[in-house]
Amino acid sequence: MWEGIYIGVTTAVMPFNLLMMFVGCFAGTFIGMLPGLGPVSAVALIIPITYGLDPSSGIILMAGVYYGAVFGASTSSILINAPGCASTVVTAFDGYPLAQQGHAGKALALAAYSSFVGGTIGAIFLVFFAPMLAKVSLSFQSSDYFALMVLGLTAVAAFAGKGNILKALIMCVLGLMLSTVGSDRSNGVERFTFGSIEFIDGLSFLLLAMATFALAEVVMSVMDRSINAEGSKTSNVASLGSMKLSRSEIKEVAPTMVRSSVLGFIVGVLPGAGATIASFLAYGVERNFASKEDKAMFGKGSLKGLAAPESANNAASTGSFVPLLTLGIPGSGTTAVMLGALIAYGIQPGPQLFVDHPDVFWSVIVSMYLGNIVLLILNLPLIPYIAKLLEIPRTILIPLILFFSLTGVYLVSFNAFDIQVMIIICIAAIGLKLLDIPLAPMLLGFILGGMLEDNLRRALLIHDDSMSFLWERPLTAAIMALAMLALFGQPILNLIRSKLGQKKGQEVFDGE
Amino acid sequence: MYMTIAKDRIGGLIFLALSIGYGFSITLIPMYPGDEYEVFTAKTLPTALAFLGSVLSLALLFLSRGETKTSLPDLDWAIAVKLMALMAVYGVILETLGFLVATTLFLLAGYWILGERRKILLFFCSFPLVLCFWFGLTQLLEIYLAPGVLLQWMGV
Repeated sequence: MWEGIYIGVTTAVMPFNLLMMFVGCFAGTFIGMLPGLGPVSAVALIIPITYGLDPSSGIILMAGVYYGAVFGASTSSILINAPGCASTVVTAFDGYPLAQQGHAGKALALAAYSSFVGGTIGAIFLVFFAPMLAKVSLSFQSSDYFALMVLGLTAVAAFAGKGNILKALIMCVLGLMLSTVGSDRSNGVERFTFGSIEFIDGLSFLLLAMATFALAEVVMSVMDRSINAEGSKTSNVASLGSMKLSRSEIKEVAPTMVRSSVLGFIVGVLPGAGATIASFLAYGVERNFASKEDKAMFGKGSLKGLAAPESANNAASTGSFVPLLTLGIPGSGTTAVMLGALIAYGIQPGPQLFVDHPDVFWSVIVSMYLGNIVLLILNLPLIPYIAKLLEIPRTILIPLILFFSLTGVYLVSFNAFDIQVMIIICIAAIGLKLLDIPLAPMLLGFILGGMLEDNLRRALLIHDDSMSFLWERPLTAAIMALAMLALFGQPILNLIRSKLGQKKGQEVFDGE
Repeated sequence: MYMTIAKDRIGGLIFLALSIGYGFSITLIPMYPGDEYEVFTAKTLPTALAFLGSVLSLALLFLSRGETKTSLPDLDWAIAVKLMALMAVYGVILETLGFLVATTLFLLAGYWILGERRKILLFFCSFPLVLCFWFGLTQLLEIYLAPGVLLQWMGV
């Protein structure tokens, strides 16, 4: 392991990679701050640039953007009460009241420290858990991988929230359907191309990610009059106030940061759970832990209420790299985008990454930690200036983001037809968003589709065309059981609860 | 009483239609001789997906609760249509007018659609910016960008 860390450190501290880390953190902070654009959009926007870099530098840049975007989203949550992404919605609960009370500087500094603690604890856990899991998963066979893909897809659906499970599952299926467009990878048969040569290579992952997470998000933010109104709120941030935290304040929030970081990491590791659930959970837990006086402060500018979600969402961001790096299963929408980018490099994340590309594997882990330091060094002194960036008129920013999204795809394919396809997908994505249908599961289905088909085909070949591997091979059966549990666990629990509730109600009624 | 369809039901209907269309298109996938004896062919996964998609769509259609009123947020549709049209036009003129001219026009029109009227901003955030980007791409990163059919025709 130490040898690996050494490889990672030497790769990550190369001047060019350090530069990428700085650029990534800065660009991510900037993009993340724009209301409506979260880490997924930020990483999607940066992918075309990474194609010109070697894999280690590319993934270091993407990781920096990811971290930066999570922090940037917190900044807009605190300063203008406009969360850049779902995982920083909770940050606004106490961050914005603090800013309104004239403590914007303190709130931003606390968000930076909390993110640092969350990222540090997450990175330490990642160093120990990722190689352990990678070693275990070296014994995995095609059937196990097939089961893992199913687990990844069902877990994303399971964590989609109440009432969204079915919609998330449908979107996973839609993603899988889109992945079948183009030549079949095993025998070259054309599928769903309708005679067009443009579709023979299939749909581009980058095109799909850009159209759904960059273009659609930006157009939606322009359409939404309430976001436009929030965008003009920037002038309210006249002075940030002191950025210093007193010793007693640090003492007060330190245990919260540690608790929330551990919780955030664990939630982040679960495929599909991600930073949003982690931040809500950490906030809830801290509120329950708090004394009566502290509890009353939650929602009115509590330091603990700000530190908890900030530590948790950063630790969860790190945690979501564990399933990505070791099993090839993304833990969140952002890591799904990164998985697609890695596959485009010809690198297959999973246990073999640990063996075949130790430089990539370890440099990602080390850069996760260094990224946190860079974020702290970069963001603390730059907070007053970063806040000023929010004053750039949206009338200028929006066309520029649209331009970067379109040319980002064009510069990879040099085919103007892709721009028209992007617009069609963007319109469809806007329609789906208006119907409250989540888009991230579609991207996950699209990315995992090819691998799922290959592994199923191989597993059938190995097991003489029999599906018996699903119950005969213990590991496959165990992972499939987990997938079923992820899918049906909650609905069954809900059913039992409602039945019990009905019974209780009946008893009360009978008693009366 | 207003007759409205719940959002989930609209979604369910769309996906059902999509799954049926996808399922029908499977018949268009060509097969190699002998494929009929194979357990796993190019049609296997799509068939399973069409079936799964239809079942899930039907479940969404029948299990979703009816809403009395489908509310949409206050949205500015006109601006979205204008931006979409602008992007579509950009896709068409990019290879005709070339990167420099097409992108400058795209940005200028984009700023204008969003309500920017300050001439200094309109100028500095369009041509000089595109020129810098073009210089970075072609001279620093050595990415070839075709000058455009029109400029080639004019002999530039």
